[in-house]
Amino acid sequence: MKILEDCLQSEMVNQADLVQLRGQRRRLVACTIKNGVVNDFSSISLSGGSVRALVAGRSWGFSSTNLLDARNVEQMLRHAIKLAKASLKLKHEEIALEPVPVVKRDETTPTRKPLRDVPMEEIVEIPREAYRGAKEVGANVADIKATFMTIEDDKFFLSSEGSRIHQSSTRVLLFVDVLAKRNARFCPASENLGHTGGMELFDKTSPHSLGKTVAEKAVRLLDAKAPPAGKFHIVVDPTLCATMLHEAIGHPLEADLAMSGGGFGNQMGQPVSSELITIYDSGHTSNGLGFFLFDDEGVECKRTNLIEKGVLTSFMHDRTSAALANVSPTGNAHAWDYSVEPLIRQTNIGIEAGDYSLEEMIEGVEEGLLLEGTFGGQADVNADFTFGFQNAKRIQKGKLAEEFQGANVAGNAIEVFKTIDAVGREAILRPGACGKYQFALQGRIVPAIRCEMMVGGAGGR
Amino acid sequence: MKLKADWSFLRDAVRKAIRRLEEKDLTHAEAFFTYAKTTEVTIRNSQVLTQNRVDDSGVGFRVAVAGNKVGFACTNVMSQEAILEAGEKAFSIAKVSSEVPHFMLPQGSSPPKVKGLFDPAVAAIEVEEAVDRANRAITAAEGFCKRVIAKDGRFLYESEWRGIMNTSGVDFEERGTRALAYLGGSGKQNGEVTSSCYDLMLKRSADLEPEKLGENVGKKIVDLLNPKPLKSFQGSVIFGPEAVSYQLFDVLTDALKGDAVFAGSSAWANKLGQTVASENLTVIDDALLEGGFASRSFDGEGSPSHKTALITKGKLVGFLHDATSANALKMRNSGNASRFPGGFDMIRSIVGQGYRTRPEIYPSNLTIQPGDKTRDELVSEVEEGVLVESMAGFPQAGSGVISAQLSQAFFIQNGEIQNPVRGGMVSGVAFDWFKKISQIGNDSKRFPHAIVPSLLVEDVKIIGA
Repeated sequence: MKILEDCLQSEMVNQADLVQLRGQRRRLVACTIKNGVVNDFSSISLSGGSVRALVAGRSWGFSSTNLLDARNVEQMLRHAIKLAKASLKLKHEEIALEPVPVVKRDETTPTRKPLRDVPMEEIVEIPREAYRGAKEVGANVADIKATFMTIEDDKFFLSSEGSRIHQSSTRVLLFVDVLAKRNARFCPASENLGHTGGMELFDKTSPHSLGKTVAEKAVRLLDAKAPPAGKFHIVVDPTLCATMLHEAIGHPLEADLAMSGGGFGNQMGQPVSSELITIYDSGHTSNGLGFFLFDDEGVECKRTNLIEKGVLTSFMHDRTSAALANVSPTGNAHAWDYSVEPLIRQTNIGIEAGDYSLEEMIEGVEEGLLLEGTFGGQADVNADFTFGFQNAKRIQKGKLAEEFQGANVAGNAIEVFKTIDAVGREAILRPGACGKYQFALQGRIVPAIRCEMMVGGAGGR
Repeated sequence: MKLKADWSFLRDAVRKAIRRLEEKDLTHAEAFFTYAKTTEVTIRNSQVLTQNRVDDSGVGFRVAVAGNKVGFACTNVMSQEAILEAGEKAFSIAKVSSEVPHFMLPQGSSPPKVKGLFDPAVAAIEVEEAVDRANRAITAAEGFCKRVIAKDGRFLYESEWRGIMNTSGVDFEERGTRALAYLGGSGKQNGEVTSSCYDLMLKRSADLEPEKLGENVGKKIVDLLNPKPLKSFQGSVIFGPEAVSYQLFDVLTDALKGDAVFAGSSAWANKLGQTVASENLTVIDDALLEGGFASRSFDGEGSPSHKTALITKGKLVGFLHDATSANALKMRNSGNASRFPGGFDMIRSIVGQGYRTRPEIYPSNLTIQPGDKTRDELVSEVEEGVLVESMAGFPQAGSGVISAQLSQAFFIQNGEIQNPVRGGMVSGVAFDWFKKISQIGNDSKRFPHAIVPSLLVEDVKIIGA
């Protein structure tokens, strides 16, 4: 990335208070097997750079290009400065950035089974194995889609403050989606594996067993009825808990969203959740899909406690939001790739494990539901949410009873988290993704929780 | 002009790569390539937040070898060497791939002329102008009522060349521009915050109207103030255009995709010629619409664009196809291979769109034929029900089951809107709802891939909060 180093020596840099340059090389391989056929087998090779400039202490401009030659890189810097100046007359608030340590690091995330050793012929066998595992479940398996994906990243960060950071990492993902069908009845199920690391992802769960598990669930649910509708005492499994945590609690804890009103705004130091709940975000969680040593402003991604025993202690910040809130940045400025500007993002968000085994959580429910799996969903900044779960089990007098198909849960997450009366003793690392203005892969470290929540099923109670 | 020189270089380099591939032992090779410049101003928390300029170009190759084994590779490294290498990579992947049954690419037949896709004023937009418009939209929204907060938004101007070449004679290119304005906000009252509301403006020309956008958002938010809880009942629901453009559009689209029909996973796989909806419902896909946001003269694999009847007065008459699904089902290719499909797809989110992925079947401008009733007339016909302008949640894949939270909805009684509602859900199967459409509004609105009016649906399950 000498070309970016040269750019930083340009006289134009002096027109800005701060210039941050990023460069990236990314190689992706994606292979999808759909119903036994290679539906997509792609190799994607990308590179590019971007520059972000702060001008007159008030206004940022950003420009990116895939054309990394001297002419285009210089033009990119010129654009960023021009763009920053374009809104100066509207910007009245000073952004007094807290100085951050100058970092000179060259880091490669260690992997036990590196991707470079895996030939294309073997890559195609991974989703095919997941397909076979699902297919073996039987004739009711109508539609199977398995996608294996590898992402290799080389990221460079250079700033006019002096930081020079190179981070290299690999991520591996497997997605399995199954649709079971009997007569006119359909039932979907899905599950994902993913981490920052290499092919050791499959040491614990093989692609074949993942495919089988998902298909068995979809077929089993064909016989299940829709769940009852209404408000229930609910045990939420870690997978659904991960979606709730990220979407409905995590987003309102991002400083840019917190400052937009509603949610957790103006409640710093106040109790906002059940006192059983401690929530944190940490880029340093080993193997998390959101594993980063440094963010895209060169700030270290250390653990930040967001809620401690129910009390709001911090938001997630980038340097700008931290300056405006008069706190230190938390390493949450992340860009999906070189072409887009860093935003405040979660890395690996977690809930500290509690004291309960799953059995104990179920035993404590007189009449309620255990909800499992997620189909994702949506949350508003006021923490109102709707999430899909994949299946449910009735809990009666502390024991599991019949199984139901998936439906949605809805409510306000802040209200729901106040009702949490038990937290599971085992927090597991889950893969996650987020589409806040741009894409991101993230980790979630989640136990099961027990709370009160509204289920919107198609059946009556 | 630099853009033109860069485009010429890319096209010539791609042509060379296609020629090189032609010498190999393969059945099809294709290259889709774009060169785009985007200027974007973003709005956050009542302010212009930042200004971005993104330049991007690249090429994606699809290669099929004997036995219809297909591979894809792309690059955005703009050197002849890297482009040749991407073509080679697609070829080597194809060799280790497996059969795509009935795989086909279009033959070179000349595309129609579609008007209104390019406006030089978009290509020449200055960032100061975009900042000014974004700021005027904020002012208009917050000036409408002091309770309104403009939370987020964007003014985006994109200028793009797209080209397609294959070894069966396709060699087309087209220039287009797009201007998009989006503003979202919410209202504060007595410490309570309303659901988020947004409005969207999608054009091919530069004349985005910030005041109109801001006022629309302001009005939507003010209408939501003083909400009341909703009871549970079975009643009529008017789905406004925005609600139709998400969940109902998704269910409709999934059932109409030719590949899903061929695979048997579409709920309408065996229903061609049958009645699948109320006789009030007529749906077409129109890629030829003058100035349409998703209009184009050729699709993402170079097939000429069409206007395609899908549902005529409730009867299923057609599907959305690319060359492969049309070949598999022996139907006319409707030209719906899309490089920029909507909807959520994890893989596409990770790798990106356009030259970075192979095409998939998706509507261009999916159009529900509007009725003759105004919105007020629709409301006046409802004895007891809900007007749903917007709802959150996704339909269940395949089954058409929707259970969605009402994010912007109003209770209707005796033909009049009574109050906005807080919480609540609608639940049911969209395929049943299509059969129960009793009226259609004349209030069509444009979305990225849809032009849809309000639909009045009878007998829908409404769940109170």
